[in-house]
Order: sequence, then C-alpha cells, then structure tokens
Amino acid sequence: MALLRRPLLVLILIVTYQFLQLWIAVGSVIEEGQKQEEFYEELLLKPLPDRKVLTHFHFQSSAPPTSNGRHHHLFPKAISQLVQKFRVKEMELSFTQGRWNYESWGGFDSIPSSNAKPPGVELWAVFDVPQHLIDALWKNLTHTLSGLFCASINFLESSTAYSAPEWSFPPASGNLRYGTLPREAVCTENLTPWLKLLPCRDKAGISMLLDRPSIYRGFYHSQRLHLISTGSGSEGMDPGIILEQTLTVVLQPNSQRASLDRASEKHIQPSWSLSSIFGKQVSGKCVLAETSNVYLLLDRGLVAELKQLHEENEKSAEKVLTSENFRTNPCFELSAKPDRIFIEESSLLSKNSSVLYKFKVEKYSEFEPFDLGLTWKIPVVWLCRQAPLHASRFLMGSGNERGAIAISLKSTQSSESFMGANSDDERCELRVDVFQVVPWYVKVYFHSLQVFVDQQPKAVSDIIEKIHVSPSKDKVSPGVMELVLKLPCSVSSAALTIEFDKGFLHIDEYPPDANQGFDIPSAIVSFPNFHASMVFLENDSLNKSPLLSKFQEKSHVMSYTEVLLVPLTTPDFSMPYNVITITCTVFALYFGSLLNALRRRVAEEERFLKDKAAKKTGRLPLLLSKLSAKLRGRHSEPPHSPPGPASSSFINSKLVLKVILVAGVAACWQHYFL
Amino acid sequence: MAEISEAHDSDSSKLQDSGSEAPQRPESEPDFDPKITRKTKPGLKRLFLTFSVLFSFLLGFPFLWKSVEIYRSPLPFREIDSLSTQLRSDNLLFPLHFHALFVGFDSEPDSLRRSILSAIARLASQNPKCSNNYTLSVTVDLDSRCLRSPTSSPHSSTYQCGSITAADFVQNDDVAVDERLASVFGGKTKEYSVVVVKGGNERAVVGKHRHAWMVVGDGSEVEVAAAKVAELLVKVFINGGREEGSIRNEFMPVGADGKIVLSFNLLNADPRDWAYDRDFEKIDDTLLAPMIEALGPVANISVESQVLYHTPKASFSYWNQKLESYVFSTKDLPFFVNSNEWHLDTSIAAGGRSKILQFAVYVPSAKECPLLLQLLNGEISKTNGFISPMWGGVVVWNPQGCLKDSEFKSGAKNIIPIQDLENMFEVFIGQFRQLFGFKSVNVYAGASGDWNLLPSERGFTEWELDVLSRQHTCFNLHSCATTLGSLSRLVQSLPRMIIMDEIGKQVKFSLEAANLALSNASSRVYESSAASSSKASSLAEDAFFHPSIMSVSYYSFEHCFAVYSPFFLPVSMHVLLAALKELRRYKQEKAKNLAWKAKANSAS
Repeated sequence: MALLRRPLLVLILIVTYQFLQLWIAVGSVIEEGQKQEEFYEELLLKPLPDRKVLTHFHFQSSAPPTSNGRHHHLFPKAISQLVQKFRVKEMELSFTQGRWNYESWGGFDSIPSSNAKPPGVELWAVFDVPQHLIDALWKNLTHTLSGLFCASINFLESSTAYSAPEWSFPPASGNLRYGTLPREAVCTENLTPWLKLLPCRDKAGISMLLDRPSIYRGFYHSQRLHLISTGSGSEGMDPGIILEQTLTVVLQPNSQRASLDRASEKHIQPSWSLSSIFGKQVSGKCVLAETSNVYLLLDRGLVAELKQLHEENEKSAEKVLTSENFRTNPCFELSAKPDRIFIEESSLLSKNSSVLYKFKVEKYSEFEPFDLGLTWKIPVVWLCRQAPLHASRFLMGSGNERGAIAISLKSTQSSESFMGANSDDERCELRVDVFQVVPWYVKVYFHSLQVFVDQQPKAVSDIIEKIHVSPSKDKVSPGVMELVLKLPCSVSSAALTIEFDKGFLHIDEYPPDANQGFDIPSAIVSFPNFHASMVFLENDSLNKSPLLSKFQEKSHVMSYTEVLLVPLTTPDFSMPYNVITITCTVFALYFGSLLNALRRRVAEEERFLKDKAAKKTGRLPLLLSKLSAKLRGRHSEPPHSPPGPASSSFINSKLVLKVILVAGVAACWQHYFL
Repeated sequence: MAEISEAHDSDSSKLQDSGSEAPQRPESEPDFDPKITRKTKPGLKRLFLTFSVLFSFLLGFPFLWKSVEIYRSPLPFREIDSLSTQLRSDNLLFPLHFHALFVGFDSEPDSLRRSILSAIARLASQNPKCSNNYTLSVTVDLDSRCLRSPTSSPHSSTYQCGSITAADFVQNDDVAVDERLASVFGGKTKEYSVVVVKGGNERAVVGKHRHAWMVVGDGSEVEVAAAKVAELLVKVFINGGREEGSIRNEFMPVGADGKIVLSFNLLNADPRDWAYDRDFEKIDDTLLAPMIEALGPVANISVESQVLYHTPKASFSYWNQKLESYVFSTKDLPFFVNSNEWHLDTSIAAGGRSKILQFAVYVPSAKECPLLLQLLNGEISKTNGFISPMWGGVVVWNPQGCLKDSEFKSGAKNIIPIQDLENMFEVFIGQFRQLFGFKSVNVYAGASGDWNLLPSERGFTEWELDVLSRQHTCFNLHSCATTLGSLSRLVQSLPRMIIMDEIGKQVKFSLEAANLALSNASSRVYESSAASSSKASSLAEDAFFHPSIMSVSYYSFEHCFAVYSPFFLPVSMHVLLAALKELRRYKQEKAKNLAWKAKANSAS
C-alpha cells in the first residue's frame, strides 16, 4: 500500500506542481499581456480549386494603453503617432491589384469576407471626436497616409471623394468616413513602407518570403492595414492599439510535374512548395515575434472530396487526413511534418469540416530552412464555399447622355443548404445590405429604383426594408445609397436597377485621361444573417494565434462588386481656344470690311473704271496678267506698254513696308521674350 | 449706299471728293495733269475717321490691360529692404552689462576698469552679424567701503559692500560657492558678475548662473587678473566658450517653426544575437525633462523614442588584437549611418518644418562586439559616439561581456542597465550641446588660463541659455530678413504672379514681430525677443512657402497673348494700314494741291 500510495502522492504532487506552474504561467501571461507590446507573424496557405494557391500573410502588433506613448518597443512609432494625432478609433487601408474571383476562390470564409478588397485603394476610418471635427481630421489623415505609403491617398481629401455611410457599412457609426480610389496603381513602393511597420521588416521571419517579383506576378494582390484603438478608461492615457497587417496574394504555382504524361497532368492539381511559388524559403522566425506559424488550410469542399475518394478506398478518411504519417496519405504529400492538426468544429449544417495543419517556424533555422511543399497524387476537383448570393454590377443603356446601373444578385448553389436550414420558418427571408457610392457627375435618379426578383418586377416597398439616400451635390459631395433588401430564401436571382444622367464637368475637372472614362467605386454587398467564422478545436489557449482568433470572429459575409467604367462626354479640350480664334476672326473681318467701306471713294473708282474702259486695260489687270505670266514662267508681252517704273516702285515700297512691319513685330516679340 | 449718299450730299462730300472729280472737268486745260495736280483742297473726313478708330483702339488698351490684371496684394517692399539694411548695418546690438568685483585688492577701480575695457576691446572680434554693446562697472570691495567705477552706474549699486569676503572661498566646494554668489547677486538682474578674490588656493570657476569667480594667490598682480577677467567676459559670457569657426556660429538646429523633435532610436543590429530595450520613461522624466524646460525660450522641444531591429551599420570594422575588440576609425564615420536600413522615420507628430535631431544608440551584433571608435590620434573614444551636425548623434553601446546570451529568449525583454542608460543619455546631452555649438567638456582653456565650467543639472547653464537666446534671436532675424528679401525679389521678378492677401498679412506680421524683437533685444528682454524673432522667422517662412505661390494659377503673358492675339493682330493690322494709307493719300493730295496752287499763282 505504501508503495502504491507513494507514487500516487508523487503524482498528485507533480500534477499540482504542474497545475501551479501553469496557473502561474497563465497569470504572468495575462499580466504581461496587459503591459507588453506583442508581435505575431503567421502565414496561411490554401490550395484553390482553379489550380492556384492562396497565400495570406497576417502580422499583428499590439501596443497596450500606456500613460506615456512616446516609447515603443515593437510597435511602429508612425502608427501610434497617427492614432494619437488624428484620434483614430478604427481604420482600414487596403491597396489591391486584381479582382477577387468570388466564384472560384470562394466568398464565404473570413478570408474573402475581410480580405477581398476592391481594386485600388480603399480607406475608411472611425474617429473619436465630435462630428464637426471629423472632416478636418480626415483630410489631414489622408495627407499623412499618402506620405506614409507613397500613394495618392491625398485625393480622398476632396469632399467629392469620400462619404459618410450611416449604417450599412459594417462598423456602422456616425463618425465613419469612407473613400476609394479605384484607379490607384499598387506596386512595390507601397509595399516597402508597409513592411517598415513590421519590427523585422523583410529581414527575418515569414516576411522573408515576400519576393517582390513573385508577389506582383500574382493574380490578386491585396495589402491591408487595419488598426483598432482600444480606448483607455482613464483620461491622459494613450489608447492601446492593435495593428493588423495582412497581405493576400493568389499565385499560380508552376507545374513541377513535367515528367508526367499530359493526360493525367491536366486533371491533377499542380504541386507547389514555398520555394517554387515565392522563390524563397523561411530561415527561422522573426525573433521578436511571439509566435511564428505557417498554416495549411484544406477547406470544407476539398476535405469532403478527399473523404469521398477515400471511401472508395475503404479507409477512414478522417484518420488518414489527420494521421501523422503523411508519407502514406494516398491523396497528397506534405514535405514537412505538421506540428498540430486542427479540425474545424463541425457546424450543425454540414458534416464536413476544414482541416488546418500548423507548422511552427521556430524549429527551423538558416541551415535547415522551412520549405513547405504540397504534392498531389490524384486529381481532385472541388468547390469553395460561396456567399449566398453572387453579386455583380453592370451598366445599361447607351450614349453619352443617360444610362442605368444594375446590381444583379444570383443565388449560388452551394448556399442552398443554408436556405434549407432557415426554411423551417414560414417567412424565410434573406437580408442583403447594399452600400453604393456614386460620384456627383453620375446623377442618379433614386425614384427610378426598380427591383426584380426572379425576373419579375416587384414593388420597391415589398423588397426594400430600409433605405437611406443622401443625394449628391454638384461638386460638393457624392451620392450615397444604403439599402436593406429582404429577399425570399427561395430567390434564384434578384436585380436592382437605377437610372442616371451623365453630368458635365468643368473643363478643369477632367483628369488627364478623360477619354478613358470615369470609375464608379465598387458597391458593397453584405449578408448580415451569415457569419463567416471557422472555429477550430483548439485546446492550447496559451499559444494563442491572432489568425485563428480572427477566423473565429463572427464577421458578416461581404463581397465587393466590380468597378464600373462610365464614359462621359469629354469635350475637345482645345475648343475654348478654337472658339476664341473663330470669334476673333469674325470680328476682325467685320472691322476690316467696315473700315474699307468707310474709306471707299466711289467716284474716284468710277473714274478709274472709265479710264480703264478708255484704255481697255487698267493697271490692276495688267499687274495680274504680269503676275500670272511670272508664275507660269512665261514671258508674255503685255498688250500695251506697261505704265512704267512708277507702278513697280510703288509695289516695291509697299512690299518693303510690309516686310519691315512683319520684321518689326518679330523683333518686338523676340525682344520681349529674350 | 455710297452712291446715293454721294448724290444727296451736296457740299461736304462733294468738297472732299471733288479731288477725285475735279480733274475730270478741267480736261480742256492743256497743262492740267490730274496725276500731279489738283485744284481743291484734299478732304479730311476719311483721315479723321480712320484716325479716330485708331485712337479709340489705343484708348481701349489701358482698359484691356486693367481687365487682364491679376490680383497682387501690396507687399511692403520698402519695409523689407529697410529691415535687411538695418540688420546689415550692424544695428542689432545686444546690450550687456558686466560687473567685476575685486575683493581684497587695493587698487584704483578706474584704472582697473580701463585695463579691462582695453583688454576686452583687444579680444572682442566683432561678429559680422550680431554685435554686443557692453557696459562695465568695477567695484573694489575693501570690507568697510566700496570703490566703484563709474560711480554713478545704476548696475553697480545693487551690490552691498562687504557681503562677499575671502572667507567664502576658502572651502573647495564650488557648488556651495556658486549658491552663495547667487544669493548675493540675486537672479533678477541680468548682469554678469565676476568676483576676483585674493588669497587661498588658485582656481577659476564659472558658475551655473550669471557669475564667475577667481581666486588668485596673494602675490599675483591685479593686471593679470584683469586680463583673465576680460577674456572670461568676451570668450565665455559673450561667445559661450566656443571656438570660432568650429560650427558656424549662427547655425542653430532649430526648425523654422521654432520646434525641435528629439528622436531617440535604439538600433539592435541583429536581434537574433540579442535585442535590447530601455526604460525610456524614467530617463525622459529625470534627464530630458529639465533640459527641455530650460531650453523652452529657445525652442519648443518634443521627444519621441523607438526601437528598431535588423539595422546593421554601413561601414566596416576591423578586429584589433591589442584592444581585443572591433575598431572603427573616424574616417569610417561618414559611412556609419546606414540610411537604407535605419528607418529613423520623420515624425508624424512633428509639424512640417520642425527640425528633427536623431540620437541613435547602436547595439552591435555578436559578430562585431565589442565595437569601439578609434580617434585620429589612435586613442579609443571615451564616449564611443560621434555627432553629425544638423542631423544628430550616434553612440555605440556594447552589451555586457559581448557574450551571446544562450538564455536569450524571444519573449524575454533585455533591458539596458539603468547606469549604462544614464551614461548614454549624458553623452547625448553632451552631443546635443555640441550641436548647439557648446563644448562638451567642463573646462574652458583660454589664452590666459583655464576656467572650470560648473555643469548644470539642466544641461545648459543660465549664461549659456543667454548666449543661445541672443544667438537664436540673431539667427532668426537674419533668416527672416533673408526670407522676406527673397520673397520680395521673387514677387518683383514675376509680375504676373498672383499674391494672396494672406501672404501680405503674413509679411506684415512678420515685419512687426521682427521689429518687436529688435526693440526687445535692445532693451535686454532676451526671452521675449527670442520668442518674437522666432515668430517673425516662422511667419516669413509661411509667407514664402504659401501654397498659392506655387499654384498653377500663375497666369503667364503667353496665355494672355494667345487669347487676345487672334483678335488684336488682324484688327490692328487693318486699322493701322488704313490709317497709314489715308495719311499717305492725304499728303499726296495735299502736295498735288500745293502744286496746283503754285502753278495757278505763277500763271496769274
């Protein structure tokens, strides 16, 4: 018994000791967590159905509230000064190139909902100041950001470029300002200042992968900066800030299987590795980061497909996917062994759940760099989860006078399950929020709003539950339309159309390439009933990951529509000068003829005519005939003897006078300018 | 129409046109040639008409000129010129008053005063930009009574006879002596006092306030002491103890808006070896805050700090076996600052024209640790740092032992020991003083002997601040005058540039502030003079960099010409030619008429 009891005692002791340790550790983490600045770096890789790879870099720095915000250990100084100076409560800035392909890359997960952005620059900010100060702060903020990120964000300063959405934009608040620049070109000069905000920049850690040529070769590239200041309770304290920097890139891996026969290669997904898509490897973590992880996400559709394949092979799919032994996985092969495997907490709606492989970068070093590779063994075809409705927007009508904007919403098949789940309710309704900003020169007639559901025109009041419209003011503010639509769940397609007139701009207001057309910024279509969240069964709360906690956040499913290009009537920019010239020419002609008429001596002319009749030839015809003869190069003898040297000298003096006059004008001109 | 009017008009048109008709009638006359003679006087109607059109055109030109005129706010060009000539003609004088007190000497104050004044006149090299206008009073304290020179000076009367005795200087505690003198002379008066005491061990000290003292041996002559006093007054109290020509005297690292941002950066060359942090708040409160407060009248200073990682230096260093350390020499200094990797960003919090001074602590990586700076003479620098004028300073700090900390964890926070940090910031304060042109050592070595300078815990002593504010005023006034002068030249050289009212106002206020600064300086109110001079200079800069000056609305003569020439060129051509033709014809016809008249006369 004693022997038995003693180990038990020891065990209890060990357990309590460990518990204590854990408790102390937790305590210290919480205590430290309130005081210390932290930095996390993470990378998510996800194979996409159309033979591409999604890479999503996620960096998070956080600064706790302090009484003296003048010193920062990890947090970028520029951002904390920005927050303090402009009293920013929340801000998001994104630079995007390319368009997120909602159909094949998915539209439901948290990555497309929060990281798929409209092309160009999008900026919104919530300020912590009274209403009347916001606009001034916004203007200063745009200038500062444009200096900080080497972009023309300062064009958002003009009141025609930004708007103040009331409630449809997700962090709905009266202190919000929103603006986009659809035509801003995004390139490496915007990435470098963004990287400067990271403590390790691209010198160490995951960010070493950011090879500029590979990134900008991608199909979609979105660089985002989101900051939220956690207000402090007491006065005089600087707010804590959480800065989230993400870079989402969709890349096409080069096929590595050149040796395989073509028939199978066509169907098989391309294999890739970090070094093949970025041309670089990760040599260890950024030492300043709390955690440095790489995740590989196999989404629901893919897992389901793999399971199906396995069922044919009569194996437990779940086990295979989550087993540690990757060499035996019949579907794909990973070049590195994952440290953890997470399975998504399956929702009630679907049996399938995504699988997430976690790789810790800290195990690797310069001598043993981390290079994750995925090699497919069998062809797989799957679909990403789609948003309940696929939104697209287009222009209708022709000509340079008027047109119409149409937003069409098409049901996606994959979302039927959601509809099914909600359809127990008799009055199942799908709520859709639409937020649309229209520049002032596109004059929208809000009364002409029409709604079509399943190709049938419906009364606006039946479908639209709530509408907020702030009409545009010429050269002052853009038009904003915020709508809440209630669509029946069984809807297969819906469309909104609204007519507009194209306005005329002042000649100064045209951009340099006016003939290219004018952009109408993307509309935002969000589905508040649907939340994009992935909850992974995670039991190590110590090792917290901002990326995974971001996935768990219940964010609205959101999608952006296309940017529309509206051709406006562009004037001939030389027209004012042409008008001036022709008017002046008419005036000059009038003056000339008036003067001639006034100076005319009719009687004298008559006398001359009589003279001419008497002499048969006048002086003028004689001269003309001489001139024509000279021009023809023939020497024709005049019919009568010429009037002599008197007339020729007269002509000469006239000519000389004219030449002198012209020369004098030229000399004056020259003198004036040289 | 013309014919009808011809038919109806009986006399006037007939009279005029008769010139053309007349020659037909006297066809019978044999010697009448219509080409060279005419009987009637040539008419004036058409000539008058064309010329009236021409003159109305010419009259219209001033109106046109007025209509295309652009708005130019009237700038006070004359005042600007007078300000710069006033500054150039050495009118900016800072009146200073010196008071020399001789304790235990038995000599004539008048002769002492004369010898000191002559020594001052010999030493004082006139600053080309700002000069000083000094007065001197000498008091000889004979315990019971005082001999003063000049006797009627309002300054010397503040000193109570016998309040300073040789016994005060027996103790060697300079700080205590300094406090004693401060209590005697009082902080209110802005005069500079020197006390010369006979007896005790020899020393010469400049205090933290506006006074200095010198203890001389019993046997020493009063003339030597007077020479030394004169040197102190000129070189230390007037010039701030700096060498001529080391850094240009009028150069101040203060932004155009009177602000300085001190940006402290801790650069960890390679955080994989070690990464350090520092307790900045404590240093900020204890060391920086008093200095910032002291410099308040000269500049508005703000402080910020950050830690940067992965910031290798750009120059090379070599292993020195003898010193057992890596060494970089002074000739590598221009390449030490790695502007590619050191992201010492400009501050967002600072305004557009603030001056940013970067102070960087460089923590070398394990590959180059310990890293030492070798001076030109082969010695190792004590501070291990250097300054770059108008940019800031760098200090290299080697971690303890330079051993790679095997227990270094990513999460763990290595903090620079507080003792090291204080030393480092003292070096920074020294560098900051150097950037202002002061010495970082506490000894002034003059030609006639050394003076110990008592350092202030605020970084700058009172007399140094006086020097700074005088210099700041001078620098600001000159920069204000230069900026306004450039503005006026620019405005005058571009006659078609729009000048907004705001610019006019800014120029006006700037001139007012400059004049106020001038008058304050001459009445010895240095602080307000410095403040208004910096206001003047910043307003002048505002006016010069006003966005509307740079705007595209600069309406050039070419535009004007291009718009109006399509009308005026053809029309003026017509009008001028018509006028010329009519004039010529009139002359021709008149000549004909005269010829006819002469002929008629000769005939009759």
